[in-house]
Amino acid sequence: MQKILRRRIFRDLKENKFRYLALGLLIVLGMYIVIGLVGAADTVIVQTAETAKANRAEDGQFSVFAPLTEKEKSSLEGEGITLEEHFYLDYAPAGKSTLSEAGGLSGDAGSTDGAVLRVFTQRKHIDLVQIDSGRLPKEEGEILLERRFCEEHGISAGDRITLGGREFTVTGIGTAPDYESPFRSFSDSAVDSVRFGLGFVTGEDYSRLREAGGSISSEEYTYAYLLNGRMTDKQLKEQLKGLEVSAGDIEDAFFREYWERNGGKLDGGLAVSLSKLTRFVPAGDNPRIGSAGNDKYVDKAAGLAAGVIVLILFAYVISVFTVHSIERESGVIGTLYAMGVKRKELMRHYLCLPVLVTFLAGVTGTVLGYSSFGVNRYLSEPYGYFSIPQVEVVYEPYLLLYGLAVPPLAAAFTNYLVIRKKLARPALALIRGERKRDRVAAMHLSGGFVRIFRLRQLLRERRTAAAVFLGMFISLLIVMLSLDCYAICSYVKTENARDTRFAWMYNYKYPEAKVPKGGEEAYGVTMKKEVLGYSFDVTLMGIHDGNPYFDASVEKGEDRVLVSSALAQKYGIGEGDVLTLLDEERDRYYAFRVDGIVTYSTGFFAFMDIDSMRELMGESEDYYNIVFSDHSLNIDHGRLYAALPKEDVEKSAAVFVEQMKSMVISLLVVSALIFAVVMYLMMKVMIDRSAPAVSLFKVFGYRKKEIGKLYLNGNFFVVAISALVGIPLAKAVMDLMFPYMVANVACGINLAFSWQMYAGIFFSALVLYGIINGFLMRRVNRILPAEVLKMRE
Amino acid sequence: MYLEVKDLRKSYGEGGSYVEVLKGVDLSVEKGAMCVIQGASGSGKSTLLHCIGGLEEAGSGSVSVDGMGICGLLPEELSDYRRANLGFIFQFYNLVPNLTVKENIQVCEYLTDSPLDMGELLGTLGLDGHQDKFPAQLSGGQQQRCAIARALIKNPKLLLCDEPTGALDSHTSRDILELLEGVNRKYGTTMLIVTHNNSIRHMVDQVVCLKDGQVMQDYRNEEKVPAAQLEDL
Repeated sequence: MQKILRRRIFRDLKENKFRYLALGLLIVLGMYIVIGLVGAADTVIVQTAETAKANRAEDGQFSVFAPLTEKEKSSLEGEGITLEEHFYLDYAPAGKSTLSEAGGLSGDAGSTDGAVLRVFTQRKHIDLVQIDSGRLPKEEGEILLERRFCEEHGISAGDRITLGGREFTVTGIGTAPDYESPFRSFSDSAVDSVRFGLGFVTGEDYSRLREAGGSISSEEYTYAYLLNGRMTDKQLKEQLKGLEVSAGDIEDAFFREYWERNGGKLDGGLAVSLSKLTRFVPAGDNPRIGSAGNDKYVDKAAGLAAGVIVLILFAYVISVFTVHSIERESGVIGTLYAMGVKRKELMRHYLCLPVLVTFLAGVTGTVLGYSSFGVNRYLSEPYGYFSIPQVEVVYEPYLLLYGLAVPPLAAAFTNYLVIRKKLARPALALIRGERKRDRVAAMHLSGGFVRIFRLRQLLRERRTAAAVFLGMFISLLIVMLSLDCYAICSYVKTENARDTRFAWMYNYKYPEAKVPKGGEEAYGVTMKKEVLGYSFDVTLMGIHDGNPYFDASVEKGEDRVLVSSALAQKYGIGEGDVLTLLDEERDRYYAFRVDGIVTYSTGFFAFMDIDSMRELMGESEDYYNIVFSDHSLNIDHGRLYAALPKEDVEKSAAVFVEQMKSMVISLLVVSALIFAVVMYLMMKVMIDRSAPAVSLFKVFGYRKKEIGKLYLNGNFFVVAISALVGIPLAKAVMDLMFPYMVANVACGINLAFSWQMYAGIFFSALVLYGIINGFLMRRVNRILPAEVLKMRE
Repeated sequence: MYLEVKDLRKSYGEGGSYVEVLKGVDLSVEKGAMCVIQGASGSGKSTLLHCIGGLEEAGSGSVSVDGMGICGLLPEELSDYRRANLGFIFQFYNLVPNLTVKENIQVCEYLTDSPLDMGELLGTLGLDGHQDKFPAQLSGGQQQRCAIARALIKNPKLLLCDEPTGALDSHTSRDILELLEGVNRKYGTTMLIVTHNNSIRHMVDQVVCLKDGQVMQDYRNEEKVPAAQLEDL
């Protein structure tokens, strides 16, 4: 029996080739995207972890106020850990500010205006550079540059650049595991390799650069460490906290001035103790490390889940076809039962085609996904963002199994659930074509004929309408994902520019005695707060009430803060809540009552009265470490950790939009495709089922327009109502999921859409419906009046 | 004449599969008359009915109804022709299964500005109390009554019936024929009935017998036998 039935399968496939081809192609596309996306994610996760291990990626790093003495270093290394100096100097192009005029980066390496290059001594023990091309610098005047920076500026080995007045030849291009996300600062939310990169020179050259001056901020004393299983991060931190600055050992003029002003006595030994440790960052808390892999975990989970959901949708669509076939063939099925054919044999037969189509499509999609058009194409996105080395594609067996087994299994499962009741009816009932009393379809309706007719049609086709709704909902989820990405990026771009009122923000290492003229003093302490498994920097910022750069009316009180809107959105904090922050430097938690939310999207800030904050932190009455100004100030760069112009804030915010643009567009195209194909196939099924009635209506003298009005225009309401329900529902569901997808991104999550956006989505759905309706009208027109005379409904 | 068919020819297929179904049929029916078209399977009677109903295009010849020629009309014009002039009754009723009796009748009521009274029609056809039922809840006879009501609601000038009793038992067939007889009397509807049933020819005004696509007999009954008295139905 199966042999005979099997012949029918191929006939059915041939008869409905366009229908199955359209669905098959959608499954191919879906599996191609899932396998490509997840395969690329696996490749990045596995390979970056392996290369990081091979390159002796750090267990963590810490920064100190002044370099460790040999004795301190020996004492720490005596515990069995490995330490390496990762000191650095930042250089910027000439003409950027008074700070950077002496520095600069130029030459024949392409335009690098506005960029900052962080220069290190090449590493020997920790965070070794993985060379993509060329070689490490060996001699004077040689430098190795970070890959992404080179790509953005068209730099290749052999090019020359000028740093701090010295000319260097690029000998190689590579990546470092401690800068997988090359953030200039830990609190950066997006990588911008146009504006920031790394360089590695020989130890001698580094010393020459330091001595020549010209960097845009003071040298940062950072050490990378490997614990070697000999101690924990916590134990190391405890030891480091015990280290104090020995002022006499520091020759920095700015430090000496600062030290004397604060009561130190350089000639007579220390009178004031100062902790040496300024920042302690275990690798797990470092947003620059392992970020590519972390980012891809989200892609992987979302890709696998989305694949299953989309496959269930397609399997459901196929099940609608199968149900249609079973209803049409009920007489034959009854006859076969009467002749002794078993239900499970017919079940197997009806499952065969969906399973075959989905399996073939799944295999094709998987092969394409693993081809150079798939995984490699999806790898270009992390390569184009993260600073990771070129890696070989990893073929994980589970993904192969997913691509080959999930499509047919989803089809078999969904179809089994849908058709088992249809096949469970008695033989005689099937032969007679008796239909089970359908209470929903038989409900009493009132109103005009057209209204009643459309409602009856809708009730009869509610399974098909459900598939249209489901298809639309899944498409809308993708639309919302895409538009949420767009919204978050576009808000970051527009709001960051709007909210950044200062022209410059200066972050002091050694504050001057008096606030420079034209500057507005503030006191900032970087703290930590965790959300969704990620820990981000939150700046507790002491400001004067009336600070012109923030809309924050702060009041006196050591436990009262106003939080920035970005912080409130990311952490879900509202007025009256308690905000708890961890000061890692002091190893202390602070709890604050939130008095309100300040419109400030540029970062995670908690604003408080500067005097209250000085008192809380035990600082002097005139202490400050940040100055804002509406113009460039003449400040010696040796006093600063960093100087941030408004232009940098705006440009790094704009990076988001650029990076997301292609993803947003491709997601919108995929969602429109899913919606259009599902809607077309389902509405075509409705018409095919109604073909006898349509033919009959033509016999009675109904005109094309009238038939369209009865049979197609009713779908307008299905689509319109689905859109009206689906749009807010999909938006709500995606807004719940979205924060998890961007859990590793340090920015506020404003996902609000304007009413124009909602209207745009709604009308786009209707326009798409209109186009499909036009195609279906052609199908209705092809139904001839004589058809009803050849068949019985 | 209300209906005039002249030298109507219709063929299907090409080459080896070429079949000429109607081979120059001539036929005239007076207004208000009941006419039966008889013939064996494949004689062309249904094709003739479809050509008159504008459902199939004739190869050559002409069909005119109430002075209006329908051959060569565009599909939309044929729709208007059927809408304005015709009612159809089929052997297998062709009711829309997800519409109630009343809603099925409304399908055709919608097509005219001056429909017959729905309540009166339901009463005449014995469908009182069934108007909210779905076709699956009705007997074969009731379903055919519903189909007749649907055809009559727009008060057509010409009623085309394709084996109206073909799926019914003799008792129900008689009921249906009595009904058609009554409708003809009450509304003056011209009727063209295609049937295998020999007995029906006694109750109509005109009988046309087809064989191999040609009219073999075309005569008028001097005396009609009321449907209630027909034998061997």
